[in-house]
Parts: sequence; structure tokens; C-alpha cells
Amino acid sequence: MAERGAGDRGGFGRGFGRGRGDRGRGDRGRGGRRGGRRDEEEKWVPVTKLGRLVKEGKITSLEQIYLHSLPVKEHQIVDTLLGGRLKDEVMKIMPVQKQTRAGQRTRFKAFVVVGDSDGHVGLGVKCAKEVATAIRGAIILAKLSVVPVRRGFWGNKIGKPHTVPCKVTGKCGSVTVRLVPAPRGAGIVAARVPKKVLQFAGIEDVYTSSRGSTKTLGNFVKATFDCLMKTYGFLTPDLWLETRFSKSPFQEYTDLLAKPTKTILIENTERIEA
Amino acid sequence: MDPDTNDIISFQELSLDKENELEELEEEDELEEYVTVGFLEKPKHPKFLLRHRFPSKTGGAPAWLDPLDLPTGKSSICDFCEEPLQFLLQIYAPISDKESTFHRMLYVFLCPSMICLLQNQYEQWKHREEDPRRSVKVFRCQLPRFNAFYSSEPPRRDGNDKPLIVGAALCSWCGTWKGEKVCSSCKRAPYCSKKHQARHWKSGHKIQCHQIIGNLETNSSSVLREKPPDKVACRLWPEYEMVIEDECAFDLEGSEDISCETSSLVPKHVTDDTYQFLLDKFEADDNKKSWASFQERISKCPSQVLRYSRDLMVNPLWPLSIGRPSLVNIPKCKYCNGSLCYEFQIMPQLLYYLGVKNDSDSLDWGVIVIYTCLASCESNVRYKEEFTWVQLYPTAPVT
Repeated sequence: MAERGAGDRGGFGRGFGRGRGDRGRGDRGRGGRRGGRRDEEEKWVPVTKLGRLVKEGKITSLEQIYLHSLPVKEHQIVDTLLGGRLKDEVMKIMPVQKQTRAGQRTRFKAFVVVGDSDGHVGLGVKCAKEVATAIRGAIILAKLSVVPVRRGFWGNKIGKPHTVPCKVTGKCGSVTVRLVPAPRGAGIVAARVPKKVLQFAGIEDVYTSSRGSTKTLGNFVKATFDCLMKTYGFLTPDLWLETRFSKSPFQEYTDLLAKPTKTILIENTERIEA
Repeated sequence: MDPDTNDIISFQELSLDKENELEELEEEDELEEYVTVGFLEKPKHPKFLLRHRFPSKTGGAPAWLDPLDLPTGKSSICDFCEEPLQFLLQIYAPISDKESTFHRMLYVFLCPSMICLLQNQYEQWKHREEDPRRSVKVFRCQLPRFNAFYSSEPPRRDGNDKPLIVGAALCSWCGTWKGEKVCSSCKRAPYCSKKHQARHWKSGHKIQCHQIIGNLETNSSSVLREKPPDKVACRLWPEYEMVIEDECAFDLEGSEDISCETSSLVPKHVTDDTYQFLLDKFEADDNKKSWASFQERISKCPSQVLRYSRDLMVNPLWPLSIGRPSLVNIPKCKYCNGSLCYEFQIMPQLLYYLGVKNDSDSLDWGVIVIYTCLASCESNVRYKEEFTWVQLYPTAPVT
């Protein structure tokens, strides 16, 4: 009368128990429930507290996240906040190989730049066995790495900012890229590769100068991105005013006081350029 | 390229990049793991979540498997703030190999205070001998098929199912723990602790008490028993039923990666310093790597709240690489001194469904992993405590 095996449970329901030896593949024929669940799958269920705050709608702009240097771990956060304005472009697909016992194993490395042409850019690099997977992965990584870009004026402060606020330079590998403010109407004076990145950033006029082996696209793109990241790191006289701190959405007040610099810069610029 | 001839030729050309090779093997092995995931769904009827139906559920009050010998005293309170613990979820996880585990339920309780959870995370590293305090507790209860509480036939699911005996009185405030103490004035309302008695008194029992005493004098009707605890007032989490699915059922778009057959026209790979720079910047440290694989794994079914696998080969899915336990940190079973093994983990998506607020001090976790006795031992204690491990997201931004 000893009941053995899952089948003898009758109507009791198996619950979560599967037994240790059972490594079956499961029933793929459950189409009904899976079909109905598809729509739910598209919906985003946040995993981090920041994600939950964004989903609720408590955080309305990326600037609030930048202000407190909160790490963005879910790309859907950027999707929700920047919405449809975000455009992406694949810069290059490069096959890379590894030698194995059975020949060479090729994977594809995708470089994707993402941006809303209004002060936010992101760069993503992903390597995968299939091109489509690599591109998808790179877009996600690019969204996670979106940074703010500071724009300024060349001369008279009339109208909207259109160029970089000062001369900045970025370096990656042997490639150095230097961005120099330009007057209105100059356009982006740059090579094809950084021009794309600068367009996505929303910079309208700039002079560039590059050095090093710019043929390596990876380094070239990364150097430009690095340069753009530095625009908000440069202390200009209009940022000399001390800032009042505001409370982060979910960090202790003491944590905030420990990292003052970034908060000062961003808060002030927001006020000026608002 | 013919793999056989290639074998002989490329044997000498082997670039013994051992790490990468192991990585490849791991990638293939992951697809073989057999994991069950749990989703939350609104129950079709609250009756389905009563204990004689052996439910797996979240929130509300627990459906105690053994209704008489409930955990009491120190097991039911948070060791840091001395508040009674709140019910998080329970799963029905029978083991078909043994007779004594025909019915087997695992209950998870935790203190809703984040301060206690932070202290818990610190204390869980301590050795068992030091008797660490915990704010997350898991209980396991098992029964054979023929027992005193439930019929040995499966429930008929026609609305007429009832357990064989009535359970012990539960606290009138939380409905979770055993009501051992009674209200001193009406002598009718059971409570699990002084704190709950005080809260119930303030929020309405003061008025009701007199009514009950009045009722007792006129006729002996136990009005209080039928009134269920006010879930809103005592801030119990919303009740859901847990639906079980195999993870591989979602593998539709998963493993469609066709390994590219290489041709000899493609030039050989040359390691470049520039790639290394890019790798360092974008595919950085261990934390990011584990986060990336975590995201990838849950993207198959993003609304999962629980992952279950009693397979010894399966490792828990950690979101971060810091804060993971090593073999030393996992103690032996408290009752039989046998080893513990990973059984299930609770995912952070659950917080979204529970509607937990997102203030600076509200509840948040990365993952809660539960280790249970490998042998699922029997002992005098009906509700045996198991080991939990909490991994929290770092509070300060980790660069």
C-alpha cells in the first residue's frame, strides 16, 4: 500500500514537488495558459526599487536619477522616462573569432549608439553568436549607459544652447577626440563616426580634432562618448554658486552628504538651462 | 568544415583558453537546469486558499497544514524588534519518495521593517553556535497521507470540502499566529501577543468588547469566532494564489542560437588591446556580469516571483556576486544534523505585487534563498525551522 511516484497522488495536486531524480523537460503542450500569458510577458515587472518608483510614476525625468547618482539597472527605466524620443543606430557589426578544437567559433560584436537628440546619449557593445541577439543586447546596454550631455554657447547667449560649453577632450586607447565650441551654423565638423554620436547627443555645432588610430571604430566611438561624459564634469564660473542638497528618493541623508560634487553641478545647470 | 578531420589538425593549434572553454560548457549546462517558477494570480475564490486545499499562496493569512501545533513563542517574533512576524508566502512542495512527506508545506515569514532586514543580513553570516538572530524565518511542516487532519482522498473541489477538525484559535488581529492569550475583559478574543492585543483594542475591540460581554450575558453565542481579522487595518499583504509553471515551458525564443559554422575565408582572430579596453569598460566586474545573467534568465518570464528546484545540480540564481554564501556559511540541519540543500528562492518582483511602498525605509531585497534539510527529516517539532539567506542590493552606489 505504499504510495510511490508522483502519479499516485491522484487529485491531490503535485505542488512544487518534482523529486530529485526527475529531470524531465516538462509539458510543452500547455499552449492555452502560455498563450494567454504572452501579453503579461510584455509588461515590465520591476526588480529594483528604482524600477518600482519609475513604474509608479514617482520619478518623471532622468535628471532626478542623475542628480543622486543612482545606478540604473533596468533598461525599461530609461524606456519609460525617455519614451519614444529615444532612437538607436547600429554603428558596426564586427565578427570576432576564437580558436577551438573544432575550428573557429565566430561571434558578432555589435556597437549601438542610442540617443534622443536632446542631451542624452548611450553607447552599448555586445558580443553574441547571432547578429540579432548581439544588436538586441547592445541596445539594452546602451540604454543602461545613457548619460546627460551639457551644451552651451559659443558667444552670445541667445536662444537655446547649441554647442559644447568649453573645449573638452576624451581618450580611449590611442584615440583622443577633442571637441571645440563652434558658432551657430557651423554644423558638426567631424568624421562620420563621431558625427553620428554627436547628432544623437543633440549638439548642433562643434569643431573636432582627433588623434591616434581612429580606424579602430570601437576606440573612436568610446573616446567621443567619454568626451561627452566630461561636459558635465567641467567646472565653469556659472557653477561656482553652492547648491542646496535635496533628499534622494531612497537613500539615507548621510549617504548623500558623502558625495557632494556631482549634485552641485547638476542642480545648478538644471536651473540655468531650464 | 568536417569536424572529424579538423579534430586532428586543430589539436595542435589548441589555444588553451581554459576559462573561456569552461564558460562555454557552463552556457550549455544552464539550458539543462530544471527549474519551476511560480507566478501570482488572483484566486478564483478565497475558499480555494483554505488549508484543506493545500494551496500555494502569498499574502493574507497562512493556511496552516497542521492546525494545532503552531509555532509559538520566540519562533513567531522578529528577533530584533520583537514584533510578531508577518506572513509572506507558503508553498506546497511534497516529496513523492517518502511516505512521511506526502503533504509538505513551507512557510516564509518576515518582519516588514527594513531596519530588521538589514540587521538580519549582517547576522546571517554568523555561525550557528552564536545563535544568530533572524528576522526572516521559514517553517517546514509535513504530514503522511493518512493523518488526523485531512481526508486521505483528494479534495473533490466541488465547494463541499472541509478539513476533518477545526483548528486552534488564531489571533484576532493578524489571523496568523496561534491565539494563546485571551482578552482579559471579554475572555473571548484570542491574541498571539500583547502588541496585537493593544492594536486590536485601539482599533475597535474596545467597543466590541462590551457588546460581546453583553451578548454573553443574554445568550451564549460566540460572535467573535466568525469575524475574520481585518486585513486592511493590520496591514497584511494582499492575498494571491501561486501558479506553478516549468521554466522550460517559456523557452520558445530562448535557445535559437545557431552556432555559426565558420568558413576558412574569415581571417583568424587576433587579440587586440583595444578590445580589452572595451571589455573592461563595458563588460566590467563580477557584479555586472551576475546582474546581466540574472536579467537574461528572468527575461524569459519576467513576472516570476519564486524559483523552485530540489535538484542538487541547480544553483540559486543570484542577482549580485557580493553577499553570496559559501559552503561554510550554510549550517547543518537543526534537527537531524544532515546537510541542507537549496530548495527555492523568492524574487524581488514579489515586492511589486505586494504593493510595498518605495520610501527610503521600505522593504526591499535582491533575493531571499531558502535552504532546507536534504532528508526532510521528521522530529517532535511540527514546524521545523529552515535556513534562509537574504541578498540585499547595496545601499550606497557601487561603482
